Amino acid sequence: MPAKPAGLAPADRGSEPDVVRAAAPERKRAPTAAIRRHWRRWAPGYLFLLPSVAILLVFVAYPIVESLWMSLHNWSFFSSSHPFVGLGNYDTMLHDPRFWNALRNTAIYTAVVVPGQLAIGLALAVALQRNTLINKFFRSIYFFPVISALATMGIVWKFLLDPDIGIINHLLVSVGLPDIDFLQSTTWALPAVMTVGIWKSAGFSMVIFLAALQDIPQSIIEAALIDGAGPWQRFRRVILPLLRPSMLFAAVIATITSMQLFDQVYVMTSGGPLFHTDTLVTYLYEVGFQDFRSGYAAAISWVLFLLILALSMLQLRLFRFKEID
Amino acid sequence: MIRTKAVLAAAAVCAVAAVAACSSSAASPTSTDSGSGSGPVTLTYWSGFTGGDQATYVALVNMFNATHKDIKVDMTVQPWDSIAQKLPEAMASGAGPDIATPDYNPGTIRQYINNGLLAPIDQLLGSGANQVPASVLPPAVKQVFTVNGHLYAAPANWATLELYYNKTLFAKAGISSPPTTMTQLESDAVKLTVKSGSNVTQYGMAIADHDTIAMWPIFIWANGGDIVNAKGCSALDEPQTIQAVSTWANLINKDDISQVGLAGQDADNLFSAQKAAMEINGPWATGEYTPAHVNYGLAPVPTGAIGTPVTTASTVPMVLNAKSTHKAQALTFFAWWMSKPVQAYLAEHVGYPPSRNDMADYPGLNSNPWVAGFSAQSPYAKFYLGTVADFSNVDSNIFSPAIQAAERGANVASTLQSASAALNSALNCPS
Repeated sequence: MPAKPAGLAPADRGSEPDVVRAAAPERKRAPTAAIRRHWRRWAPGYLFLLPSVAILLVFVAYPIVESLWMSLHNWSFFSSSHPFVGLGNYDTMLHDPRFWNALRNTAIYTAVVVPGQLAIGLALAVALQRNTLINKFFRSIYFFPVISALATMGIVWKFLLDPDIGIINHLLVSVGLPDIDFLQSTTWALPAVMTVGIWKSAGFSMVIFLAALQDIPQSIIEAALIDGAGPWQRFRRVILPLLRPSMLFAAVIATITSMQLFDQVYVMTSGGPLFHTDTLVTYLYEVGFQDFRSGYAAAISWVLFLLILALSMLQLRLFRFKEID
Repeated sequence: MIRTKAVLAAAAVCAVAAVAACSSSAASPTSTDSGSGSGPVTLTYWSGFTGGDQATYVALVNMFNATHKDIKVDMTVQPWDSIAQKLPEAMASGAGPDIATPDYNPGTIRQYINNGLLAPIDQLLGSGANQVPASVLPPAVKQVFTVNGHLYAAPANWATLELYYNKTLFAKAGISSPPTTMTQLESDAVKLTVKSGSNVTQYGMAIADHDTIAMWPIFIWANGGDIVNAKGCSALDEPQTIQAVSTWANLINKDDISQVGLAGQDADNLFSAQKAAMEINGPWATGEYTPAHVNYGLAPVPTGAIGTPVTTASTVPMVLNAKSTHKAQALTFFAWWMSKPVQAYLAEHVGYPPSRNDMADYPGLNSNPWVAGFSAQSPYAKFYLGTVADFSNVDSNIFSPAIQAAERGANVASTLQSASAALNSALNCPS
């Protein structure tokens, strides 16, 4: 066993020169070798990230902070002065009937479209989970609306629902029903928009659930079968609980998308008739870009953000599960 | 060594990305600038004429540049909503163009004027070489562009509305000529509405109630009512206004003479598809109806209870930036734009009547029969909300919703009274 080098035992620390011990706290410490190694290793990565981070800071982070700042001011594009009003814009919102109308429409849309697209998506996934050629064809058919532009689909549906040339009314009349001007009816306009929303997004939920269904071990299904579980019991007690993580993901994404509804309403109804399809985003667009009240529009956007955040957290809480489930 | 090369490679990528991000990528969709130099003064001009008339406006600017060696107009054409979003901020920050067309709605200039963004152009009017006689401007134009006694805009174009009627559908219904009074218009609209069971196969008239050149106000004015009175406050609750809206709302709601909730383009499509026999519209519609082979005619808007014709005026303001350092050159351009040869060229190629009312006998102008008809309505034309700065709010949130509610069977008197209170609030008038 080699002898310990002299002068390196911990007990020898007391023999270090006093000048070194006294000067150490006041002199700036040089980077250690470990930190230098870290930077040498990771510097290329940080440099490669720098352009993207810069873009995110300039085009995402800064506008977010700026919009919060604007929401506290009476901000208009026309004026070079923007007086500070504190929570004045938020107080205006509380007494704005258009805001509450838009919030109600957005809530109704979300409450109907999210469960609707999840239910239909799940039904399609269960029906098309076997990897046959015909099933693959129909999966593509049902996914096609998802990849189509919302505005384009809105225009298409506007024609389909037209009271004079639309095929929907033609079919209604052919079976003896009266034709309906869906998009000009205060009763039917919002249901029409919701139907298009479900039709557009069900394919996305289908794809999520298809992937989750493929991951369910067949042995669990067989075990349930052996235990005498019928099809509905297998679905309700075995498959559905195992789909919970996917359902959470699909529900959160669907909720966020629904709360931000703009394109199809702007194209199909412009928020009408008589504001019956006006949503928070179509209203804030009108306030910000037609009325040029940017501060108030920014305040509405922040309220929308907080609502989406609260809903997402609620969904995470409701869908909470333990690994033993 | 390898790590050093990696760091250098990463730094090179960052430098390239930074240069690419910082390089100017602003490209004008259409620009008439043929290059900058130290010679002629360059006037920057933001224009919103992106439609079928764009080529005519570009050709005119090129003509000006060719005939004025000391002034060069650099016109950038962009959509109206793009101008509306960019222009206020650009002007306020001192980076805006010398001249611009802020919006197709003339009332918008009041927002700019209230914030000190526009320069008055009173020097445009006069009898000098680079001036226009004040008497040639249509009275409605002078009124809508004059604020606090100063002129703030020149008309980039000028139009009135007339009654389009489908001659074929009129003949089928046994109507030999277009209506000349509002009473005749009402009965013709009912006669021309054709139903198959409960479905309407042909509407007597296409009447738009939003996103349109103003058609509904004509019915109100013809009956002696108004939307905003001479004092700048609401006239929606006046008896003549309520009577006019009631009459036409009942015709739509009970007799189905028009579809409910039509936007301007929807109304144009109905007439173009020959599913509506009449429509009140401007000269721009001839460019749609002629290629659609509609056998149409044009007639003055029928006269109402007031006994004199009245129709809607339409003009796009050309304004001068208060911070422009080339005001004299801008006024020269405005005066050239208002000259008879230019107005004749514009009328011939775009089909709009001239923006001056002293060209009735101008050679070649009446070769286009439509121009003469629209031009003849100029003395009777008035603007919808022309003096209201908050046009968008009043139109979208007060007047149009009230009309749409009336069309759907709401009590007209109470609806208009509520709208009147809201309008007075928006106009800072006592209720």
